[in-house]
Amino acid sequence: MTVLEATGIRKHFGGVVALSNANLTCRQGRITGLLGANGSGKSTMSKIITGVYSADAGEIKYNGNPVRYRSPNEARTAGVAMVFQNLSLVADLTVWQNIVLGAEPKLGLFLNNRAAMTLCREIVDQLLPGLDVRKMVHELNPGEMQIVEIAKALSEDPKLLILDEPTAALEQAQVKSLFDTMRALVDKGVAIVFTSHRLWEVMEICDDVVIFRNGANVANVDFTKDVKDPEKIVNYITGEAGKARIEKTRRTGGDEIVLRVNNLNHGRFLKNIDFELKRGEILGIGGLAGQGQHELMLALAGNYPGVSCDVELNGEKIRLNRPANAIRNSILLVPGDRQLEGLFLGHSVFTNIIFPKLGLRAQPLFTPEKKYRQETQEVIDALAIVTYNLDMPVNSLSGGNQQKVVVGKWLSFDTNVLLLADPAKGVDVGAKRDLYEYIVSQVKENKMSVILYASDSEELIEHCDRLMIMYEGQIVAILEGDDINDDTIVATSMRVEIGSGK
Amino acid sequence: MSVVGSFRDSTAYKVVDRYKKLIIAFLLIGFLFVLGEIVVETFLTVGQILLTIKLASFIALFGLCQMVVIASGGSGLDLSVGYTATITAVFTAAIMDGQNANLWMAILVAIGLGIAIGLMNGVLTAYFKLPPLVVTLAMANILQGVINVYTAGKNITGRPSPVLQIIAAKSSGMFPNILFILLIITPIVMIIMYKTKWGLKLFGSGSNETAAYLSGVNVKMVRCTAFIISGTLASLLGLLLLGNMGIAFKDMGSNYVMPSIAAAVVGGVSLTGGDGNYLGVILGAIFLQTLTNLLVALGWGDAGKWTGFGIVLFVLLILYVSNRRKR
Amino acid sequence: MNNNSVLKRLVSNPDFSRLLILILMFTLTAVLQRNFFAMKSIVRNINSFTPLILLTMGQAVVILSGGLDLSVGTALSLMTCVLTSVMKEGVPITGFFALAVAFAVAMAIGAVNGFGIGYLRIPPVIVTFATSFIWLGIALFLRPTPGGETVDWFQAFYKIRNIETAPAFLKAFGEIIPPALILVLLGCVLWWVISRTKTGRYIYAVGSNSQSAYETGINTAWVQMRACMINSVFILLAALFFVGQNRSGDARMGDPLTLKAIAAAVVGGIALTGGRGSVYFALIGALIFSFVSKIIFFANIPNAFQTLFGGVIVIVAIAGSQVYTLSSRRAMEESKLT
Repeated sequence: MTVLEATGIRKHFGGVVALSNANLTCRQGRITGLLGANGSGKSTMSKIITGVYSADAGEIKYNGNPVRYRSPNEARTAGVAMVFQNLSLVADLTVWQNIVLGAEPKLGLFLNNRAAMTLCREIVDQLLPGLDVRKMVHELNPGEMQIVEIAKALSEDPKLLILDEPTAALEQAQVKSLFDTMRALVDKGVAIVFTSHRLWEVMEICDDVVIFRNGANVANVDFTKDVKDPEKIVNYITGEAGKARIEKTRRTGGDEIVLRVNNLNHGRFLKNIDFELKRGEILGIGGLAGQGQHELMLALAGNYPGVSCDVELNGEKIRLNRPANAIRNSILLVPGDRQLEGLFLGHSVFTNIIFPKLGLRAQPLFTPEKKYRQETQEVIDALAIVTYNLDMPVNSLSGGNQQKVVVGKWLSFDTNVLLLADPAKGVDVGAKRDLYEYIVSQVKENKMSVILYASDSEELIEHCDRLMIMYEGQIVAILEGDDINDDTIVATSMRVEIGSGK
Repeated sequence: MSVVGSFRDSTAYKVVDRYKKLIIAFLLIGFLFVLGEIVVETFLTVGQILLTIKLASFIALFGLCQMVVIASGGSGLDLSVGYTATITAVFTAAIMDGQNANLWMAILVAIGLGIAIGLMNGVLTAYFKLPPLVVTLAMANILQGVINVYTAGKNITGRPSPVLQIIAAKSSGMFPNILFILLIITPIVMIIMYKTKWGLKLFGSGSNETAAYLSGVNVKMVRCTAFIISGTLASLLGLLLLGNMGIAFKDMGSNYVMPSIAAAVVGGVSLTGGDGNYLGVILGAIFLQTLTNLLVALGWGDAGKWTGFGIVLFVLLILYVSNRRKR
Repeated sequence: MNNNSVLKRLVSNPDFSRLLILILMFTLTAVLQRNFFAMKSIVRNINSFTPLILLTMGQAVVILSGGLDLSVGTALSLMTCVLTSVMKEGVPITGFFALAVAFAVAMAIGAVNGFGIGYLRIPPVIVTFATSFIWLGIALFLRPTPGGETVDWFQAFYKIRNIETAPAFLKAFGEIIPPALILVLLGCVLWWVISRTKTGRYIYAVGSNSQSAYETGINTAWVQMRACMINSVFILLAALFFVGQNRSGDARMGDPLTLKAIAAAVVGGIALTGGRGSVYFALIGALIFSFVSKIIFFANIPNAFQTLFGGVIVIVAIAGSQVYTLSSRRAMEESKLT
């Protein structure tokens, strides 16, 4: 019995097409896995079927009836439960209070706490026996919090359960319990959609797998019928384009080491990071989203006062405990979320571009307006920023041009190390090309060294001399030369050995 | 390209959009003048207008304190400006004692007091992360307490130096001298806020704390400095208030606190920080003083004044600040 | 597990420390005030503590829901002015009208504040700052100078003995259990009932994480409005007491209490960020605050210094609590990173 049928789904955000033609079918009593690289559209798909986003085109049928959910609440009432990665728990309530939040059992006007606690104990015991439902959520570790999220979804007695990367924070044993619960649910006839970045998990628990690439589903593999072949799946994820080996001109920057990082640790996010950056090279950071890449960039930019590490720049030890220190050492960060971290939205292009200069001690009290305006104009020309004039507020620019402003801030600085945190995210093709052209030219001419994190592996493949793959806060591989290709990247990102059948 | 599109590109539209809030403030003042003239015939006399400007100048100067603190971000507000001014007036009145001789000492004392108070406010809000409204309100209480101690059982003695009286209370020809102070200060403020590196750091800290931090700005120090400036300005204003009134008394400054904030809001200073045009604050001050005059002319006295301010501020908050959840 | 770790856990538990501090302050006051344990003194202390206790509890509810109310002082004044303007001396029934009208006014005040905080999502400090002037203005309009009338039976909120026509046993009862205490108990019962309903639970949820609460389908705006209205009820109870005690309404009487209520709530463990704390411990916070004030009074510090100390206490209280909360939160965050 088909519980959910989504056909021809299209979705775009601004100028970026997230889904061009996506289809998904979920049957009662089956676990369907969603797989795909970063930006392939699989999370957008989950969000559309649960009502978080609304599709631009296409049809969704739930139990045979066409539906159009305008909010997650509507989907919830229809029996669709979801667990996403950004936790929606209330830290100051207990586990059981969170699980029943919004649907508390009542005795007349009063809350029936006893019934609530019993109900929750039952559900939680299936997932994580021994977890005291009376504990406050802020006392739990991330794995336990994820379990509570799942429990909350289960408490709604769903017909269709969407689990978006639920195992990311879980330990081995917790994953096993989760899988047992999932099997129990499908026995009762629930349909489940499951995504994970651990390929072996998908292969273990799912009945069939839908693989996304570039906004459409490119393959459906039925594990109940076909053989489970990881290499074939990786191929589906990367597609034919991955086969072509791009010939790149290797940059000859010599082997002089600009930055040496040893033993960088930051709590849960970064573990034992060791690497070296050569002068004039573009060193990439890749891997699946959320494995610590962004945190690594921020750490190198001095954003974490408590970080413990051993860093040498050009042979001298430096401390990275404040952004001002990093800037002083000419380690400059182009932040990933331009609106949150990189721009002063209400202010002019001019103000945004000259802003970092103000932090330098050598700057005079009165901003030398003429000189700065000239420098700003040079930046605008160098990056081909499209703006009516210098004084336009930056929020009137397109995304791509805003991004150019974020990069442009640092251009007049003598840069030792440029940290690029996803510089082309959400940027149109033309602006992306301009940006990279400029950066590559700087690298060639001034021997600037770049650490580049991009969520789009094409950018990494095209521009990086070496590529570090991160997984759960650690560097698990450093790819060089011909190894920098789609297949290898995806395989190492998902911790799969290609060539050895698993 | 459509007609609307080309209109959007025209310079006229851009100018209007940029100065939207200033224009609204201007129109509001005009509206009040018209209303006043309808209600009370003598509302628009030259003398009345000049008096309004004089009183509004004081509000505008207090409004400057607020603008600096608000623009620095972090929900900044300074409720202690009233009592800072009062305490300075009380202490310096005794120092000056009606003579010009000790004027410089009085000024130094004022600056010292202002820096001390501002520093305490700044440290508690920026470094201890306590809510500015609560901290400055408590500070106002403390200052009030200090005044109580100082004046326990005795009257507040002293008079301002004649120079101060001339600056604050008297007029040259028909223009009140305080207006000239305002006219001198305004361009200085505009230059500092828009043309110096400190001013830009201030706006940056208020506009986007993270971006400012990542660009190497010490946001905490910027916000602390904002409070120090506010405190120092407020205490210097205490000297002027003393000059205007001729004596110091306990509640001298407290009537200026609310209007100073309201003037900032009317003038379009964004309460979340990062934005602010002093011209707007001045217009806001004029608006509020005109509103007060109107309410007084209507015979509604104190009750009307406070209710009027409260309602106006509330309405402005709805228009400028409210943030209904987007569905 | 041995005694050592149980003891350690107790001491690091902030609520336990609060109880300890309360006992300490209580003892100090008892030592400094002669006749502390005399019935008259006890009643007088209860009477002087009650307004702050009620206001603190109400403020606690608002802060828990993610708001803050700077208008409680002027709202209290307004309610006293309303009560004394409706009542006519010697006409007992006007007392009932007064109650009804004051209740309606209280609900209106709560609704306006709640609307600004919940629906319009204007920062609570600013919107209640604005509304505090509206309440002040209306209060001044009703009572430009303190005054007004009360009916005889209104003394039931202060001193039953003052009602001539009351039966003897009631008067005796009122000597031992002052009406102020009943008012506080009433407040406690009110919160006890609310905390067992959806509203009570949702106040915490919205205050802790209003985004998550919203995504779960809770109408966060309505919850915050209800919190403001509950606060109004507490303020009304305090107003009843004041009118009973002073037999008049005064537009300015509430001003000093606003900040104290906030500080006392913080001392009692209410986190200014919302979602954390207990209304009953806020009550304890108000008690601690009141005892400290009494200690200062009895330590023979000159009258003049008292306002000064009041402000200093507030800052120390809030700063201290904040530092404590921040450091324990940081410790928790760090343990979560590993």
